[in-house]
Amino acid sequence: MVLEEDTFKEFEKAVGVGNVNDGEVITDAYAYNWCMEMFNYMDGKEPLPYSSRPKAVILPSSTEEVQKVVKLCNKYGIQVKAQSTGLGPWNCVSSNNSIVVDLRRMNKIVKIDEKNLYCVVEPYVSGAQLQAEIMKYGLNCHMPGAGPQVSPLASATSMNGPGFTSPSTGHSSRNVLGVEWVLPDGEIMRLGSWGMKNNPDWFNGDGPGPSLRGIMRGWAGAKSGLGIFTRVAVKLFPYPCSTDFELSGHSPNYDFKIPDFMRLYVMDCKNFKRLDEIIIQVEKEEISFMCSYLSGLAVMAIFANSFEQMMELMAVGGMKAPLVVIIAARTKREFEYKQKVMDYILEKNKLANIIGKQYTPYPVFYAEALRSNLGLHGFIATGGFQSTLGQCDTAKMCLNSATLNVPAKQLFIKKGAVANDFGEGVWMTSYESGHYFHAESPTMFDQTNKHSVKGTAQYFERSNEIGLVKHLGAPFFVEGDRWHDMFGPHMHNYHLWLRKIKEAFDPNNIADGGFYITPGKDKKGALKK
Amino acid sequence: MDEEEYERMIQRCLRCSICKWVPQIQVKSQKYATICPAMDEYNFHTYSGGGKIILALSYHLGRIGPSDELRDIVYKCTECGGCAVSCKFLNTLEPLEIMCEFRERLVKDGCGPMPAQQKYIEAVKKVNNPYNEPHESRKEWLPKDIQTDPNSKVLFYVGCTASYRRKEMAIATARILNAAGIKFRLLEDETCCGSPILRTGVKDAFLESMNKNLDAIEALDVDTVVFTCAGCYDTFKVDYPLHRKYNFEVKHTVELFDELIQDGKLKLTTEVPLTVTYHDPCHLGRNAERYEEWDGDVVELMPLVNINIPKKPKRCGAEGVYDPPRNILKSISGLKLNEMERIMEYSYCCGAGAGVKSAFPEFALKTAQIRLDEAEDTGAEILVSACPFCSTNLQDAIKEKGSKLQFYDINELILMALGMDIKKVKEKAAEVA
Ligand SMILES: Cc1cc2nc3c(=O)[nH]c(=O)nc-3n(C[C@H](O)[C@H](O)[C@H](O)COP(=O)(O)OP(=O)(O)OC[C@H]3O[C@@H](n4cnc5c(N)ncnc54)[C@H](O)[C@@H]3O)c2cc1C
Ligand code: SF4
Ligand code: SF4
Repeated sequence: MVLEEDTFKEFEKAVGVGNVNDGEVITDAYAYNWCMEMFNYMDGKEPLPYSSRPKAVILPSSTEEVQKVVKLCNKYGIQVKAQSTGLGPWNCVSSNNSIVVDLRRMNKIVKIDEKNLYCVVEPYVSGAQLQAEIMKYGLNCHMPGAGPQVSPLASATSMNGPGFTSPSTGHSSRNVLGVEWVLPDGEIMRLGSWGMKNNPDWFNGDGPGPSLRGIMRGWAGAKSGLGIFTRVAVKLFPYPCSTDFELSGHSPNYDFKIPDFMRLYVMDCKNFKRLDEIIIQVEKEEISFMCSYLSGLAVMAIFANSFEQMMELMAVGGMKAPLVVIIAARTKREFEYKQKVMDYILEKNKLANIIGKQYTPYPVFYAEALRSNLGLHGFIATGGFQSTLGQCDTAKMCLNSATLNVPAKQLFIKKGAVANDFGEGVWMTSYESGHYFHAESPTMFDQTNKHSVKGTAQYFERSNEIGLVKHLGAPFFVEGDRWHDMFGPHMHNYHLWLRKIKEAFDPNNIADGGFYITPGKDKKGALKK
Repeated sequence: MDEEEYERMIQRCLRCSICKWVPQIQVKSQKYATICPAMDEYNFHTYSGGGKIILALSYHLGRIGPSDELRDIVYKCTECGGCAVSCKFLNTLEPLEIMCEFRERLVKDGCGPMPAQQKYIEAVKKVNNPYNEPHESRKEWLPKDIQTDPNSKVLFYVGCTASYRRKEMAIATARILNAAGIKFRLLEDETCCGSPILRTGVKDAFLESMNKNLDAIEALDVDTVVFTCAGCYDTFKVDYPLHRKYNFEVKHTVELFDELIQDGKLKLTTEVPLTVTYHDPCHLGRNAERYEEWDGDVVELMPLVNINIPKKPKRCGAEGVYDPPRNILKSISGLKLNEMERIMEYSYCCGAGAGVKSAFPEFALKTAQIRLDEAEDTGAEILVSACPFCSTNLQDAIKEKGSKLQFYDINELILMALGMDIKKVKEKAAEVA
């Protein structure tokens, strides 16, 4: 027993018997996460995939129970780390004085407002679950590239948010409406129209009064460093085509009846200059469901379900600047219009669509695209994968950062630390029909090979430094004191404001800020308690 | 799985949680999206397929030692393999194989199996069945009017559960074989197939059972062994060949009866006006896929990137027995089949397997009740399956829940379609019991 007996009992009283565990077996599994070995190495620790072991893991089932847990943490000076579906090192505690609040038992779809195009969900509703329910109304939701198994709430409130369908479903930070939030001191905050005194409802993320959305998550999210979100409203979108979703056969080689009005284009724009022009032309027309630039190898990966299958796609991998576009429609007329626009763009730019000519993907590709399952293909080559860069900017700026990153990656390829993608592995997508762009550089490494882990960590740092030196903006994995303190001075001292927010919202430093920021330093430079 | 592969794999879980759900593109509703009974009951990530891989790594690294807490978590798992199917949609990990291997290691270290499981293993050693029933009464299920032929090339391997607990299944099988004119014989000295022992990680006792059975069968001139128990079938079909090759064919009754119906040897002439839903037993479905032999090489294509040459077959449950039971149901006139959401390779487990029913009976019942909810939601009045173990657990849950569903083994429905009075079969089973 790690917690004092009385403390344990109080937590148990708050969430019910069987929902608190401080045994070594349960807690050790919560110390493990994907890529933790790399983050450990960057922190000067042994590159093992484990963080500190949490003091306990607690499973609340309601906002009130979360509030009780947070108040107890304040009482006992224990830090708290929230997780929804829990993928990634950002879910790990930063010291052994932290407990994990696993929100798994909070799994309700509270509301689907099909007329006003939003829904309200709890943390442990997965993207696939939500999508399955809203498809019944002909609607779609946004999911991050991490896949349909992760939590729309976590992405909307706490972490990043681009996804493969971003051109038509936006970015998590821009989709979030009303929010219910247990602050680090245990107070409950309701944001947006959900905070109204009279007739509270979830439809708006801002007001009455000042909007706190920027403080709540800003761009990259507080990753549990500012309290725990228990319910959130997110925007919904029309499902792009017929919702008849007809799969047959067996895993992994499912067959899929491709919806009538759906078409894939893969075109080689040859170079980044043309790619920049063409992607903007496509996005300006507001016709795409998905519109991504993927390096040749990444195109091979999204069409394959194993590495061996990927190797059969060499012909596709040779493209220099492939643009992958999916258009989909609900009526024949809409489909014809979208195709006409694409035909025009292709002709104008002397582009050829290789689909149906040089290459025809298995139909299951379309199913995965509709269900936002393509990101996970990043793992099929080496089993280990992580991304650098992640700027949110113009297409030109994103492509510029991708170009500048190539020599750094090539260096670590030469050292045998990261797998050879010629340094060019990039995924870039537009948000909201070209309103913004996001580019990241997926990097394949071997998490079981220490040389690879160390080299990838060094490459990560190098890549971040390039972002800084070349004025490319902050990467999307800017997290923790070290990186904020590095980027902040070059970006309007935002890190000082971030600390002020942390201090104001978390006077007792209860929310584990390991992947956010910790309270400010005193005059001697030491971290305040 | 050899030592090297085990060590490599336990370091590779992505902690992506895909193993908690049916394959992502198969999610059809919020209610029936999950695949892992252990997660559904115990909630902590540690109980999931991925969670147990982490435990295997932690144990291997000495971060955690053998303890009752560890044993409980590792054994609160039906080894249904649902996690493995979902993980392997894109990944090359083997969650189920890792868990089996981990159990074996725990047993070696004195940290398994569960006491209730140890008890039934002792019973198998003593009286050849886990129910501790007298070995002499193993054939008491056999009604006098059933014809057997001691010279037949077809052997009906009855199994412990159908012999002692679900006699109606054994009787129904025998009657259908008689009705189709298929001569069959029984083993004089049938022994537990070893499945309930193997799943707990006690390898030596399993091998003993396997050898007894194979010695007995190979001493006869038999070319086909027929099973009505999915567990025995899976064990003979998939697990035995990993340890000892044999040269007879194995068939589950659904496969044999489907063939007989297609060939017109079994004529289902009586209308059975029922709406049914079919539960795929894990041992007849995803886990009944044989391992394909692969004798290739792992070649380093470039630093950090290896490729299997030739391509290594991935065992994802596609070769399970899914069509035969459905064909049978579809060939019964008047019968309507309403499918549940989770079927075939992503079917939800009944909750009984891998020693859970004996060691954690409440967990087994709760899992079965989740499955009943899904069956009820199809609007069916009958839940049908093809495994005596699923049958027992689902029927226990029907009683516990007060569900209006009735459970039938698929062979009982065939009997009805053959015009036999099913009540009599059930009564007969009670009588012989
Ligand atoms: C293959 C792959 C592709 C990826 N692609 C993308 C991508 O395209 N876009 C993108 O944005 N990300 C991407 N990621 C990273 C990914 O976003 C995160 O891993 C994922 O969103 C985690 O989601 P989750 O539901 O598991 O949330 P969690 O992992 O549960 O949470 C994420 C963070 O939010 C915090 N948190 C969770 N819930 C709460 C809560 N209720 N209150 C307060 N804090 C909370 C957690 O502490 C954690 O720091 C990718 C990851 C992988 C593996
Ligand atoms: S076992 Fe497979 S599906 Fe489960 S968390 Fe690990 S990698 Fe993901
Ligand atoms: S085998 Fe079944 S019960 Fe066990 S972890 Fe996998 S899905 Fe869960």
